[in-house]
Amino acid sequence: MSSGSYEQNPIKAFASEVWGSVFRHGLPTTDKVAARTALTNFFLHIHPVRVKKSAIRVSYTLCLGGLSFFLFIALTISGLFLMFYYIPSVGQAYQSIKDIQYVATFGLVMRNIHRWAAHAMVITVWLHMARVFYQGAYKPPRQFNWVIGTALLLITLLLSFTGYLLPWDQLAVWAITVGTNLGKYGPIVGPVSRYIMLGGRNVGQSALTRFYVLHVIALPLIGFVLMVIHFWRVRKDGFTGGL
Amino acid sequence: MSVNPYETKENKLHWLAEVTRRQFIAIIGTLVSLGALLFGGFESLKFLFPNSTSDPPLRFIVPIDPTSVTVDNPYMDYQHRVGIIRDDGGFYCVQLVCTHLGCTPNYYSNCVTNTPVLPATAESHGERTPAERIPNGWICPCHGSRYFIDSTNFYGPAPRPMDWVNIEFTPDKKQFIVDRSNIVVYRNPGQVTPPLWRIDPTTGVWNGKVL
Ligand code: HEM
Ligand code: FES
Repeated sequence: MSSGSYEQNPIKAFASEVWGSVFRHGLPTTDKVAARTALTNFFLHIHPVRVKKSAIRVSYTLCLGGLSFFLFIALTISGLFLMFYYIPSVGQAYQSIKDIQYVATFGLVMRNIHRWAAHAMVITVWLHMARVFYQGAYKPPRQFNWVIGTALLLITLLLSFTGYLLPWDQLAVWAITVGTNLGKYGPIVGPVSRYIMLGGRNVGQSALTRFYVLHVIALPLIGFVLMVIHFWRVRKDGFTGGL
Repeated sequence: MSVNPYETKENKLHWLAEVTRRQFIAIIGTLVSLGALLFGGFESLKFLFPNSTSDPPLRFIVPIDPTSVTVDNPYMDYQHRVGIIRDDGGFYCVQLVCTHLGCTPNYYSNCVTNTPVLPATAESHGERTPAERIPNGWICPCHGSRYFIDSTNFYGPAPRPMDWVNIEFTPDKKQFIVDRSNIVVYRNPGQVTPPLWRIDPTTGVWNGKVL
């Protein structure tokens, strides 16, 4: 990038300026540049600058946390697509789901991605927790991340629960009837929790509205914030694998 | 240091006297903020409790002619979640809410084949063999609980019989009025004897029996 080339070709100069404003460093040719790149790039800084070989052994984490996060991203994107067609009203919800499947281009794919990723995420989050438990990765100094983790598990399960109602088919309505009735048996806040979840005494329009809002806004947002803290702490507390 | 009003070290409030002006304001500020947050949060929670709901009314008319409901032909209103049953004693109305976790059981003219019956229930129903048993009743689609036509549970996870709710004739005696907010027969687990509560098939007058 000699100053001469600026004067010679303004388009090239502009392009290199734009490039340079986004990527502060060139391709990581040396260890030093690689380190600086990782440090200054938002997306790369999730990883430490130096990683021990022992820490990236797949058999150690089985990538379960990473898989959970990947599935969360997949769910967010596919869910966004579904939102363009889905109508959260008791009269139209089921029909709009059918529209997604049979009318919208690639709608069936989107719905299936969302559905399967949702099942998969519940599984990977549980397994991730089991992995952390069996390796004693919850011990100090990582206790706090264990607590954040349990909150993430809860969020994952609640996302699964609230999403289940949205198709408004027989399975959905009765599963939520059963689920919220189970909640009723909880101590002290049990009966109140059902009323507040359903916004009434039956699984009806207000329940659908509430579950929809929780499913597409509240829970993903809380989950995202918790994940950011979770990852930050993984970096700060160090990694049991030696990261 | 300024003069310490709490001279002795033993004085419990000694630490208070040591608090600087800044610390004092910080403490009070924190407490007030926390209090405001708690109060505000608690009050905001009220927003989530609907002051009115869109639940369907619990008292409603079932628009069928009482004479069309016969011993062999009970009437199921799945929308309102009630079943109107006629037997030798008269009419009664079962609220179709499974006592397990609240699904709507479906009516079957035969719900007893190949199904074991809980011992206590079998006894109160005269220890009849499945073949002799009055076969009609309900099966819950959610976890398979089964109920005899008197709403006694005899199989599956349901802990107790379904409730009976109040039923009467409209003044012209051409339709039924059902009131699900008025439970007339409530039976606990194990209370399996068939209740005697009925309304007269012609006059619609309650026979005065509570169970
Ligand atoms: C939404 C769900 C979750 C996501 C997306 C997630 C993501 C991650 C990721 C990417 C890691 C890095 C290492 C790895 O892959 O194992 C990690 C580590 C960790 N997670 Fe999670 N996690 C979730 C839920 C949980 C749960 C339910 C727990 C436990 C209650 C938990 C506790 C931990 C702990 C203690 C670590 C540090 C592990 C170590 O240092 O070996 N996480 N998580
Ligand atoms: S809700 Fe009827 S058997 Fe579970």
